[in-house]
Amino acid sequence: MIKYDKALLKKCANNLLFDMSDEQYELLLKEFDVLTKQMEVLGDIEGLDKVTPMTFPFSVVTSYLREDIPEESLSKEDILRNAKDVQDGQIKLPKVVG
Amino acid sequence: MNFEAVIGIEIHVEMKTKSKMFSGGRIAFGEEPNSCVRPLDMAFPGTMPLVNKQAVINAIRVSNALHMSIDHELWFDRKNYFYSDLPKGYQITQQARPIGSEGYVEIKLSDGRVKKIEIERLHMEEDTCKQLHMADYTLLDYNRAGTPLVEIVSKPNIRSGEEAMKYVEMIKSIVVFLDVSDGKMEEGSLRCDVNISIRPYGSDKFGTKVEVKNLNSTANVQRAIDFEVKRQTKMLLAGIPIEQETRRFDETKKETVLMRKKTDSVDYKYFTEPNIAPIRLSDKFVEDAIKSSPELASEKYERYIALGLSEDEANQMLQDKASSEYFDKCVKEEPKKAKACWNWLNGDILAYLNKNALSINQLKVTPHNLLSLLDMIEKGTLSFNQARSVFEKMTIDNKDAEKIADELGLKQNSDVDAIRQVVEETINEFPQSVIDFKNGKDRAVGFLVGQVMKKTRGKVNPQITSKLVLEILKSK
Amino acid sequence: MKYINKTIEELHDLLVAKVVTPLDLVKEAIEELKKEETNAIETLCEKEALEFASTLVEPEVDNLLWGIPYVCKDNFSTKDILTTASSNILHDYIPCFDATVIKKLKEKKAVLLCKTTLDELAMGGTGTTGHKGITYNPYDPTHSYKMGGSSCGSASLIAQGISPLGLGSDTGDSVRKPASYGALVGLKPTWGRISRFGLFPFAPSMDHVAYFTRSVKDSAIVLENIAGEDLYFDATSSTKPVDNYYSKIDGNIKGKKIALIKEINECVKDQPILDGIEKCKKILEDKGAIVEVISYPRNLLAAVYPVYMIISCAEATSNNANLDGIKFGLREGNEKSYQEVMMNARTKGFCELIRRRFVIGSYSLFKDNQEELFIRAQKIRHLIVDKYNEVLSSFDAVLTPCGGIIRNPIDGKDDDASRTEVDKMIIENHMGIGNFGGFPSLSLPIGFDNGFPFGGNLTSKPFDEVTLFNIAYALENELGYKNVTAKGGQN
Repeated sequence: MIKYDKALLKKCANNLLFDMSDEQYELLLKEFDVLTKQMEVLGDIEGLDKVTPMTFPFSVVTSYLREDIPEESLSKEDILRNAKDVQDGQIKLPKVVG
Repeated sequence: MNFEAVIGIEIHVEMKTKSKMFSGGRIAFGEEPNSCVRPLDMAFPGTMPLVNKQAVINAIRVSNALHMSIDHELWFDRKNYFYSDLPKGYQITQQARPIGSEGYVEIKLSDGRVKKIEIERLHMEEDTCKQLHMADYTLLDYNRAGTPLVEIVSKPNIRSGEEAMKYVEMIKSIVVFLDVSDGKMEEGSLRCDVNISIRPYGSDKFGTKVEVKNLNSTANVQRAIDFEVKRQTKMLLAGIPIEQETRRFDETKKETVLMRKKTDSVDYKYFTEPNIAPIRLSDKFVEDAIKSSPELASEKYERYIALGLSEDEANQMLQDKASSEYFDKCVKEEPKKAKACWNWLNGDILAYLNKNALSINQLKVTPHNLLSLLDMIEKGTLSFNQARSVFEKMTIDNKDAEKIADELGLKQNSDVDAIRQVVEETINEFPQSVIDFKNGKDRAVGFLVGQVMKKTRGKVNPQITSKLVLEILKSK
Repeated sequence: MKYINKTIEELHDLLVAKVVTPLDLVKEAIEELKKEETNAIETLCEKEALEFASTLVEPEVDNLLWGIPYVCKDNFSTKDILTTASSNILHDYIPCFDATVIKKLKEKKAVLLCKTTLDELAMGGTGTTGHKGITYNPYDPTHSYKMGGSSCGSASLIAQGISPLGLGSDTGDSVRKPASYGALVGLKPTWGRISRFGLFPFAPSMDHVAYFTRSVKDSAIVLENIAGEDLYFDATSSTKPVDNYYSKIDGNIKGKKIALIKEINECVKDQPILDGIEKCKKILEDKGAIVEVISYPRNLLAAVYPVYMIISCAEATSNNANLDGIKFGLREGNEKSYQEVMMNARTKGFCELIRRRFVIGSYSLFKDNQEELFIRAQKIRHLIVDKYNEVLSSFDAVLTPCGGIIRNPIDGKDDDASRTEVDKMIIENHMGIGNFGGFPSLSLPIGFDNGFPFGGNLTSKPFDEVTLFNIAYALENELGYKNVTAKGGQN
């Protein structure tokens, strides 16, 4: 059985680099209750141990590899036009430490 | 108590493909920031990864050189974490199914022992963007973002600083000779992280491991490990427990210093990359990649010995890949001149390159032209000193050696009949020398040779001349 | 209103006959869009559309999309046109490249009118969570019932007849569900059939480019033009040749085998929906098809929703990790660290529902939880798809209702005691199976109840879109719900 509480969910949210209001954590806890219960029940589905996890909807094995041919770079304008802080043709951030 | 070191090494090798691991962005080192960037490198929404064929070929070649089994189906995973240099918020790597697994390399230690270092895995992944740290801000350059990497992870069966150094040297030589990477540790195209722990001899448990980063030369790999083993031994003997931490090697102090304590390990939430369908590599594709693989240093070594180089000479030749390639072109044309080529490459050519701060790739003299110069020396058409003067001219524009010799009027005459005529003339001019010779004065020979040289302005072969002088004097 | 409310086929004839020009069509549509009252528009591309349309002078007889105006969900990358995914975090993002479908439509000289609203980042099925608020259903002047989502804006505009084609995306049923609430033909073809390059990813293993039209033939025309291999941009795009879907539609379904799923129909709440399905069954049988009611494990149907939640949230949390305020999107300024840059952008940029879903997704991927959550979900997905493939091995298609109720209240209070949680979960989410297995799946209107439409859904084997079109076409002909619009009613 998976264990979780508000503190853990908060930590989890902060690891994803955002926060939420207390209310939202309460709501999230309830959603977790429902979802984990559902998943637990689903653990009993017959034949589950015999199947592999499915990532692709059907067999999509390909042999395609991209040729190693360089393409023209985006223009500096295109690279930087959506960044809010730019200096010397580069995106500027507060000093990154660690 | 005696301790033994348990060392595992992770090596990241930046591949020198033409384009990036998953985008068509050009690979370039040292170019203007943000001048080699495709939409995927910036993680613009809706962009998708496309696996670079050459990167796969490279990974196969290195895996093969490391005697690894090669997965014929490529799967990629996402490693999820947030950092300022990680545009997508995840790195595409091969966690579950590395392309290469379970291999080894053999290294030769200074005491002559050969040790097999086992390698756990080799996988492909992509590099992050480059951060330029200024006094109070950081600038981001996306040129490096997406550069293909191979990561090679050894098993923890390295036991000393020397073994570690030899291992890294071996990996470096392999990736450099396979044309996969520049392998320059000082420039970061080969980066290595070392995990070190110590334990009492005979124990099969692992101690607490410390990670050391920032090793920019193979020598520093050895230094850092030697230092760390001493440090950890001292601590354990003093009863101080070793903490799990990351340290870096301080080059000026020649010691490792603490970077950060390891708190709880990061959960990277790996899962299969859903935008890359599994890629089936045909047996032929893998075989072709291996068959067309450039020659490894170890293979070249065997060949050089067979060509007549000594072990030291062969090793010397393999220190620099470009020189060895030049040498290879020479011996391909004339295998018999191997030794002479070696002498020139490590003598006059090296001196010339050093003096002018050039690399061998910048040498204008082609292997073919060098061989014609060597040919003239061998045939006695040029003296060694004359050849040097010719070589000097050749370095300017690779002008044909023979032409230069002609122009300089240096060409020695080795035509025996022609020389004989001059010698006879000269002896007739100095009858006193014949008398002197008969009286046992050997100096007469030298005198006559000198006169012949003077007469011909040094253009006749001295050896032949002196042989003929002697012969004729004796016959008189 | 002169040329609005027409299908692609009809417009093409008028364009070729030079009765109307692309510029006329665009001008008229822009007028309508400016009057539009359902909050369906993110960005009106007036200038671009007029400029492009005025270059289209000589009609291309063989190009059915020549001069056809269309609208596009705002999660497709459009070069130099604001693209927000209806999220605050992308409120000012201007892409530097076109999605492959946009590029293809441009090459075919179709004219983009506007970008349309969606549930934020396409992560929702209600049409209510976008940063601009609720998108209303044009069939409901009271604004009480859902348009459905996430492709709500495109659905509303096509239902209003303003354009004959609306691009959307479908990860769970994000085109097929709103199609049902808007009397539209909504097609999600086989996974890989249309390049996803430029579609903002939600859950790539289930994401599909999908779209709305008001007729089955229009749907076939569009697929023919935007499907196809795109290996230099989307490595998952299929290399199978694209069929001539349009010319292959003949409505002949003689001998085709079609399954109805008992366990799904049992969860329907509104009787007219069941009547509609029954009517379809009759039509199909009359046309020579063999229709059988079969059984599909109820526990697997009940699993669709939780499995969908786990997988889609997990993939989404990773796909949207690029939204950090550094390279593009929301950034306030004056932050003291890069973490603060990201934290501000992501806290203020995502709505609360999205953040909750990211936590769920992230949690499911943790090493210690993966086996019980993410991996288990992927395994159940496998079981569900295997079972569905079993059905499709003896049937050409499956016909189901799109949902269990006709009027789905915006406030979410759609329930009474007669509908259990599990029933509701099954009937409102079963179309996700089409995404799990990448099956081609099409919704079309099968009935009206007091002025509100409801749809039926057809699903077939991967890459068998032709069968899907033919069955749908047969139904469309007999049911008579071709090209209906909210304002004009049935044309």
